[in-house]
Amino acid sequence: MIFSPPCPAVAAAASPSWWHRRVLLALLLALALVPAPRALAQPAIATLDWTLAETLVALGVTPVGVAQIDAYHAWVGAPRLPETTVDLGLRSQPNLELLASLAPDRLLISPMFANLAPRLSRIAPVANLPLYSPGRETWRQLHELTREVGRLAEREADAERLVIETEAWLAALRQRLPPRVPPLLVVQFMDERHVRVFGEGGLYQAVMARLGLENAWHGETNAWGFSLVGLEQLVGLEAQLVVVEPYPVGVEAALAGSGLWQRQPSVRQDALITLPPVWSFGALPSARRFADHLVTALEEASHED
Amino acid sequence: MRTESARRRAQALVCLLPGLALMALVVGSLAEEGLIEGLRALTTVTPDNAASLVRHYSWWPRLAMALMAGGGLALAGVLMQQVLRNPLAAPTTLGVASGANLALMAATLLAPGLLLAGREWVALAGGAGAMALVFALTWHRGLSPAVVVLAGLVVNLYAGALGMVLLLFHQETLKGLLIWGAGSLAQNGWHDAAFLAPRLLLGGLAAWLLLRPLVVLELDDASARSLGVSLKHLRLAGLGLAVFLTACVVSVVGVVGFIGLAAPNIVRLAGVRRLGPRLVWSTLLGALLLATTDLLLQHLSGTLPTLIPTGAATAALGAPLLLWLIPRLRLETGRPPGGATALAPRHPAPGRLAAGLALGLTATVLLALLVGQAAGGWFMTLDEAVLAWRWPRLLAAAGSGVMLAIAGTLIQRVTANPMASPEVLGISGGSAIALIATIFLLPAPGNLTLVVAGTLGALGSLAVLVLLNLRSGFVPERLLLSGVAITALFDAVRAIVLAGGDPRGQQVIAWLSGSTYYVDPVSAAVVAGLAVTLALAASPFARWLDILPLGAATAAALGVRVERARLGLLLLVALLTACATLVVGPLSFVGLLAPHMARLAGFSRARVHLLGAALIGALLMVLADWLGRQLLFPAEIPAGLVASLLGGAYFMWGLRRR
Repeated sequence: MIFSPPCPAVAAAASPSWWHRRVLLALLLALALVPAPRALAQPAIATLDWTLAETLVALGVTPVGVAQIDAYHAWVGAPRLPETTVDLGLRSQPNLELLASLAPDRLLISPMFANLAPRLSRIAPVANLPLYSPGRETWRQLHELTREVGRLAEREADAERLVIETEAWLAALRQRLPPRVPPLLVVQFMDERHVRVFGEGGLYQAVMARLGLENAWHGETNAWGFSLVGLEQLVGLEAQLVVVEPYPVGVEAALAGSGLWQRQPSVRQDALITLPPVWSFGALPSARRFADHLVTALEEASHED
Repeated sequence: MRTESARRRAQALVCLLPGLALMALVVGSLAEEGLIEGLRALTTVTPDNAASLVRHYSWWPRLAMALMAGGGLALAGVLMQQVLRNPLAAPTTLGVASGANLALMAATLLAPGLLLAGREWVALAGGAGAMALVFALTWHRGLSPAVVVLAGLVVNLYAGALGMVLLLFHQETLKGLLIWGAGSLAQNGWHDAAFLAPRLLLGGLAAWLLLRPLVVLELDDASARSLGVSLKHLRLAGLGLAVFLTACVVSVVGVVGFIGLAAPNIVRLAGVRRLGPRLVWSTLLGALLLATTDLLLQHLSGTLPTLIPTGAATAALGAPLLLWLIPRLRLETGRPPGGATALAPRHPAPGRLAAGLALGLTATVLLALLVGQAAGGWFMTLDEAVLAWRWPRLLAAAGSGVMLAIAGTLIQRVTANPMASPEVLGISGGSAIALIATIFLLPAPGNLTLVVAGTLGALGSLAVLVLLNLRSGFVPERLLLSGVAITALFDAVRAIVLAGGDPRGQQVIAWLSGSTYYVDPVSAAVVAGLAVTLALAASPFARWLDILPLGAATAAALGVRVERARLGLLLLVALLTACATLVVGPLSFVGLLAPHMARLAGFSRARVHLLGAALIGALLMVLADWLGRQLLFPAEIPAGLVASLLGGAYFMWGLRRR
């Protein structure tokens, strides 16, 4: 048979000159930027999933490769990926040759990419980490995911610290909340006529529950905890509207001329809350950022009254 | 025979039934808070009353929009069908919608400032641009209907493929446009309705002015010319008006399929013959059909976790109706084969030509096998570990290219129709629907599951094709129309799924755009083996393939049992298409293109035509696969899309040149 599974050493030897230069460069950068370069002892990890990528970075791991890095920075934003992390191409079709040449020790994927597992496992052992499984409590799954990523990256202590710190941070935020917060309706605009409204099963809902805030949306949601609805379905809900940016281009201008939107109580009373972008399918780092933004905005709103 | 009064009754019934249904739905909905209250909300709004707000700013504008959009699209449909003399011409088939879509995507990514000036203008410009391209490609042929339809098909597919590439790389940024692409009628003010109304009035007026000249188009070209009419300018006016109407509607509510196709055909089936009444009744019926469907969907929407956009839902519901209609349509059969079959002169030594192609294929294979990029830049390698990633993809690309090319050659020769291609038959579409369903209904499906599902889908649509066409003896035109209906259903399913914004959408796009990415050594070997086997199986049919394009009567006289030959060849085409689709997806041009390229190169007898097309198909796919992996490294553009772009460009160049 012509085919034989590649072993990392052979793949790395493919073209020695560029590879050596690359390693040298990476080492120099690591020495220059990271005060304690203990990353050398840890397993090299690559991931296709942005949620896993943000968790890895939060644990202090520098992933060797992440898919669609530009889009990660545009949509997940923080924490930023280290400069040395290599772009693997599309999330649904990462570049296998490139991935093999990075010789990772472990690959992390989410169930969405499960059909790639047989191919990826020719490069390195694959771990499939679920989040947002229907019927499971999101917050508990976030903890489990963080600890599992910590175990695979040999950063158990960092994972434990991230979990505890996030919990403590949220508890502190809860103390800062104004006394009476009305139910919140968290939406993100898709175009000037449609929004995603976030409810049961999603990250935002999990954070709000943790902060003791009530979600005004009790409608059906999909597996990722949102529902796509027309603006008219928001009418009549007694709620404080919270819009998560970014607005698609031109939508703000169009909303200025929308009769329905202008008559939303929150808009009419000039009490609309707008939050900076947060990855709505994220893990603990995104959860903490969302909580930060939300509580700060609610505080400001209560001072203005 | 139907009597005159029975026909009248049928005509009245066609509009009366949806009219009554709409009335019932409107009254039923208004009755929720009281009929008087609901009617009053049309003109005035009680600020603190939620029900009144929704009625005034959403429900009433939406009803008005549905009526206007349905009417406008149906009117455009009648005009197109009249000008193109083809009952299956529809406002969305000539590239207007996909041109508008592409313009919106490009503006969102490259020049967001344009969208601030008004989204509808960008969409209008895109639609007009696509249509201008179609006109430019066909102008020197007098905008002859068959060529316009062909050019429209190609422009449509080309813009669609470009849009897919953008979507693949910018799914998050473009998620709002996916809702637009599925045609949602949701409203939150009277702004859009106020934009559309005067434009539709203008269009209606222009249609009324064009009425008398357009009637002339029912004659054949010679008689029309003898009346002193400039066919070219008349066609330009008729199609231009239809495009204007379509672009206006599409720019505001998004892509709404089916209405423009179905309403005019239903009216025609009900026995309305003259153009004037057809325009009026179709417009009315289109308005009623869309509004009724939309109200029904609004009833459902509260119970679902996601929005079902009306445009795509209408198309999905309409596809079965279309399948039912096809056997009842009166088709122009026995047309002489169009000019497109008479192409380049026969090559004196096709064997030498084939040897040259084989040499080119070998060179391309070597290039694709040995040259590539890594994190450090370009490199050449003989390393086994790297080659192990490449050879299965090459083998699969070549194998599927061969299969699609042979399938295309067979179907183009059987139908004597240059537009025919395995993708158009709907077998790819059926298999794609099954793949989408599997990805969304099963948690984390593996590749084997997907392949099984895809095969079942292909077999299912083949069964539909055979059942629908058994009685008519597999008349080529009907066969193609059935395929168009299945493909329409696939488009609708895809649009609905993508509009929902589910993160799994990217996986669906990747699967559908035809990538050799998922091929492993075993499946590559299987594909290559199948390609060789089926190619050998096709060669004994060469005699039939030389005779069938001469027409059914001639073929029968020469001793070919036409029906049996058609069924046998159809089965072979289906098998070839199903195998290739599973590897490279439903959206490649290869099956359409490779046979034409082979003809142009000078392969004219069936046997060498098959050989030439197979070689060209393999060459095109291998090249597309390699280019797709290098152009945007490290990201990979699926081979099917690259093949579409290469092929589409060649095709447009060919149309222009001839």
